[in-house]
Amino acid sequence: MSGVVLKSIVKAYGAAQVVHGIDLEVQEKEFVVLVGPSGCGKSTTLRMIAGLEEISGGELTIDGRVMNRVAPKDRDVAMVFQNYALYPHLNVAENIAFGLRIRKEGKQEIEAAVEEVSGILGLRDYLERRPADLSGGQRQRVAMGRAIVRRPKVFLFDEPLSNLDAKLRTQMRAEIKRLHKRLGVTSIYVTHDQVEAMTLADRIVVMHDGRIEQIGSPMELFLNPVNAFVAGFLGAPPMNQIKGKIVDGGTGPAADIGGQKIALAPLPGLQNAVGREVIVGVRPEYAQIVTAPQDGAVMGELDLVETLGSEALLHMSIGGEPFVIRTETLGNINKLDDVKGFTAAPELIKVFDAKTGMALSGQTRVE
Amino acid sequence: MSGPVEKSGTSSPEVVVAAQGGVRAPERSKFQRVGEHLRREWQLYVMLIPTILWLLVFLYKPMYGLQIAFKDYSVFRGIANSPWVGLEHFETLFGNDQFLRALKNTIYISMLSLIFGFPMPIILALMFNEVLNKWFKNTAQTIVYLPHFISSVIIAGIVITAFSPSAGIVNTILGWFGYDSVYFLTKPEWFRPIFVGTSIWQEAGFQSIVYLAAIAGVSPTLYESAVVDGASRWQMMWKITIPSIMPTIIIMLIIRIGNMLEVSFEMIILLYQPATYETADVVNTFIYRQGIQGGQYDLAGAAGLFNAVVAFVLVMSANTISKRYSRTSLW
Repeated sequence: MSGVVLKSIVKAYGAAQVVHGIDLEVQEKEFVVLVGPSGCGKSTTLRMIAGLEEISGGELTIDGRVMNRVAPKDRDVAMVFQNYALYPHLNVAENIAFGLRIRKEGKQEIEAAVEEVSGILGLRDYLERRPADLSGGQRQRVAMGRAIVRRPKVFLFDEPLSNLDAKLRTQMRAEIKRLHKRLGVTSIYVTHDQVEAMTLADRIVVMHDGRIEQIGSPMELFLNPVNAFVAGFLGAPPMNQIKGKIVDGGTGPAADIGGQKIALAPLPGLQNAVGREVIVGVRPEYAQIVTAPQDGAVMGELDLVETLGSEALLHMSIGGEPFVIRTETLGNINKLDDVKGFTAAPELIKVFDAKTGMALSGQTRVE
Repeated sequence: MSGPVEKSGTSSPEVVVAAQGGVRAPERSKFQRVGEHLRREWQLYVMLIPTILWLLVFLYKPMYGLQIAFKDYSVFRGIANSPWVGLEHFETLFGNDQFLRALKNTIYISMLSLIFGFPMPIILALMFNEVLNKWFKNTAQTIVYLPHFISSVIIAGIVITAFSPSAGIVNTILGWFGYDSVYFLTKPEWFRPIFVGTSIWQEAGFQSIVYLAAIAGVSPTLYESAVVDGASRWQMMWKITIPSIMPTIIIMLIIRIGNMLEVSFEMIILLYQPATYETADVVNTFIYRQGIQGGQYDLAGAAGLFNAVVAFVLVMSANTISKRYSRTSLW
């Protein structure tokens, strides 16, 4: 099987360790996305898998074979780079064929492979053009063509869409997803864009400061983040996080946010937690708007409405802390002027320990 | 809540009307556009002034003196009052065996320099690029750059000493193998190899800086991508580095071709002697002897003008050919 296994992988530059012993098993045909902020070690990890960075510690296996000391060319991986890495002096066909020519494959085989790949990627009309004569999207397709033409065991993508504009990025994202379905090659994809991660991945690996914070399917991570970092990283806009304290809500636990109470689900992690300093997490999508004070609602001040057409983002201030609500406009944004606060279903509210950032609330069922 | 809520994505009716109503900026003439550009970027043009003045004073004003190539020039009558003689000096030149010999030698030495001297800095740059040991690389680069900073007089002195028949290192080594001493610098057949070799030694290292800079500009991801594709260092040099610096190579070649007839005048003067005129005398040394030493300024002016016209034709041709076939050109 063409899986990729990382066991306690470490990367250090002199005394500075940038990847601190990460463990990850990527299954055959799986599409795994490494996501995290700049400097979290995701690209370094990918480059270690490609063989472009030496592995300082731990063990990397591809297809069951230890690869720590194996040259990149013998790992049977192909990589798509952020800046496309196309050879400016070669045309599209020659760029796609480069890897095959280097490996001295037959002329007819090369021509047939280029023909097939250019057909898959819609590049047949551009084969004679040089990279400078192509648009960003076309260049990225050529870069992918160069990777898939070799039929490698593993595809490695290093932020391949970050140089494209938003519209093209959405389009290319769908193309990558389709391509993966069609070819079924194990893929590891690095991005700092959580939307790319959510839409492309079978599983997402959230990294932070050279460590893996959480691994799981997009919805698992979205609904059940293990800590405040993951909760704040996934989702657009990210989860609202407000400081509070666990109090007795009468019928169950509640959180005190600046003197206002919000009910929490009676989950095991919140038993005997009264008085504990916490971070209350509410996704903008799960917050319901209220226009007048009511029981269980948290009131605040509305200071900005961002309209997105069918939706609007309401920027509120709750006890001096920012809070965003995502709501439908239904064609009328004037009604949003009256918003005074929010409520949220207790089972959709996340609670994190204020000191450690670890989740205290239980799991939300993934449908 | 105090004050109205700010809303993004909304616009006043007036703004919408203005956008839809087709209100267009009035067409401006070319002069207006140029004037506006000059007003906006005047600091850049001010910075250009010293260079333009230098060009005018030292390169364009002297062109006035070119007319002596077509005059019977006398220092006492001056340029303006000397009588016109048409192409007489050119006829004299092309009937002069010494000039024709100098022209032949110039082309010969230039071709040798082009064939052996032009690739050398490229090869050096490629070699430096492959050296991984930083200390070794720095030391080697310093050693090859050094001759450029030494005066041509000293370089010539070193060459004369090295090839000296009595104490020169070359003859000493030949002596170890039982060969008789040769006075290389008096042998016409040895002048060109010694001259071309000296020029390469003096300038190849320094000229390699241009190519090293071009190599430094090649995106590292091209190499990384090639490594993943399975390319060896040798393949990367041939398939990535050289094609990537090809525009620089072509530009340098065009400049070199333009300077083909400008064989290093100082070095020839320092190394040649009447015994080697047969192979060493070039157009520039001919001009020097005729014009400065012989006082025939008009004849030397005609030779100089011929040199310039040939250089102009060469650089234009090289640029046109390069533009047509490689999409790279000086202008």
